[in-house]
Amino acid sequence: MKKYLGGGVTLAVLLVAVLAPWLAPHDPLRADLVQSLRPPGTPGHWLGTDQLGRDVLARVLHGARLALFIGGCTVLLTAVVGGLLGLVAGFVERWPSAALMRIADVQLSFPFILLAMTINAIVGLGLRNIILSLSAAGWVVYARVVRGEVLSVKQREYVHAAAALGVGRVRLLFRHVLPNVAPSIVVVASLQFSQFVVAEAAISFLGFGVQPPTPAWGSMLSESRDFLYVAWWLAAFPGAALALTALGVNLLGDWLRDRLDPKLRV
Amino acid sequence: MRAYIASRLVQTALVVFLSLTAVFGMVRLSGDPVLLFMPMDIQAKDVNEFRERLGFNDPLAVQYARFIAGAAHGDFGESLRYRSDAMTLVLERLPATLLLGSTALVLTLVIAVPLGVLSAVRRDSLLDHVGTLATVLGQATPGFWLGLMMIYLFSVQLRWLPTGGRGSLAHLVMPSIVLAAFFAARIARLTRSAVLDVLGEEYVLTARAKGLGEGRVIGKHTLRNAAIPIVTLAGLEAGQLLGGAVITETIFAWPGLGRLTVQALLNRDFPVVLAAVFLISVLYTLINLTVDLLYGWLDPRVRLQ
Repeated sequence: MKKYLGGGVTLAVLLVAVLAPWLAPHDPLRADLVQSLRPPGTPGHWLGTDQLGRDVLARVLHGARLALFIGGCTVLLTAVVGGLLGLVAGFVERWPSAALMRIADVQLSFPFILLAMTINAIVGLGLRNIILSLSAAGWVVYARVVRGEVLSVKQREYVHAAAALGVGRVRLLFRHVLPNVAPSIVVVASLQFSQFVVAEAAISFLGFGVQPPTPAWGSMLSESRDFLYVAWWLAAFPGAALALTALGVNLLGDWLRDRLDPKLRV
Repeated sequence: MRAYIASRLVQTALVVFLSLTAVFGMVRLSGDPVLLFMPMDIQAKDVNEFRERLGFNDPLAVQYARFIAGAAHGDFGESLRYRSDAMTLVLERLPATLLLGSTALVLTLVIAVPLGVLSAVRRDSLLDHVGTLATVLGQATPGFWLGLMMIYLFSVQLRWLPTGGRGSLAHLVMPSIVLAAFFAARIARLTRSAVLDVLGEEYVLTARAKGLGEGRVIGKHTLRNAAIPIVTLAGLEAGQLLGGAVITETIFAWPGLGRLTVQALLNRDFPVVLAAVFLISVLYTLINLTVDLLYGWLDPRVRLQ
């Protein structure tokens, strides 16, 4: 159930994101003031138009592209950076590791969304900076989880055996330890993905992150607030797309955790 | 016990100090705070005067020392926008956030814990399936979208509730439901799995075998043992509620700490940002300390050190 529903929804969103330019009936940025604020069901504009007459369907479809791109880049960046730091911190128990974990504690003593938003407001807005801000706030979880796993894996007999056979430290870490902590990294990544997508939308909604007129779900929702009395569809569709994406990815993540690492709590 | 609390308080102070240093560093590295705040067409002479007055011309180390010394006294300087003490501004907004947050927390626990327990006790019943569906949907629905849709339904269409602001009890209804929704979903799921874990234990079987009523088996033997993971998550979530409040307060124009922080960040009013960061990290670490102290009370096997 989780597998098929989660996998199906995630695959559908992925396909929409890739095929958006061909699926979208209009250019998501082209304004047409004559056609502004048309309700859903208008011929040519199935989901209606916004205040500038831009096609809502086209913008929602292109929004998927942006959401998955930001989520994907952030997950990749945090998994590589956080994973590597956690790997080294677990393997080399000297003071840099302790210092790193203290930094992680400090970061975790602050709500994620607030941290990402503060970093974003300070480093600046735009697509690249929102990815960097989310990554700067999000790497901690990987570092924590991976370090914990490494601390236990490195005591296993096969690691001692490999070390006794004269395998070098770097090779030991990447060939013998890493493959055994990789499932946790995959599970954390899948559980973090929707958090990043929703956080990006929330941050863009608050006026940071991705700026209009780029068709991001968060900034579309932000613009829709001024028209809530006259045009419910401007808020309904981007939000529904966001919720559906989060639902699919969450279910897939749950399924992966049940399969790969049932004990893990993130 | 006293030593434990003392050492945790020292740790708290360290965490707060480090987060202030980090934010101070980021603010200064990101550019000239005066230029960022001033209008584009300002004269160079005026900029320099303003900078001199606020002490931005001094070496960075001097500025940092002055900032930390001030912060230790709760003095974060004047708001660049409101021309009044930053910490006072932040403290004025705190009660509104605490009211919203505690209402949401109570709402979460009142709904989520019974739902989770019932789902676990009546596993695979209709209630369990409906509950599971609700929690999965609740976790996937972004709070700010739920908020907008509720405003559309209850304020625009039905005209039952005000769209925003603070005042009567009616103003509190939508913000606290939106803030509670996501957390309630998580806590209900965790309660269900924690109770299921405990129900499989031998002491539950023993309790049943000696003829205890189902109410006592669940209420006393199961719930108390299932409480540890629930309290852990509730504590972590109580901290995240502060983050959620940022969004909820903005949607419903709730005059709290979160909305003030967003506005201060948008206006680049950094003294207020720093004062808010200070207060939020203090609150957050104190919540976590409370949670750790609760463990010892819930489960005497837990020894704090």
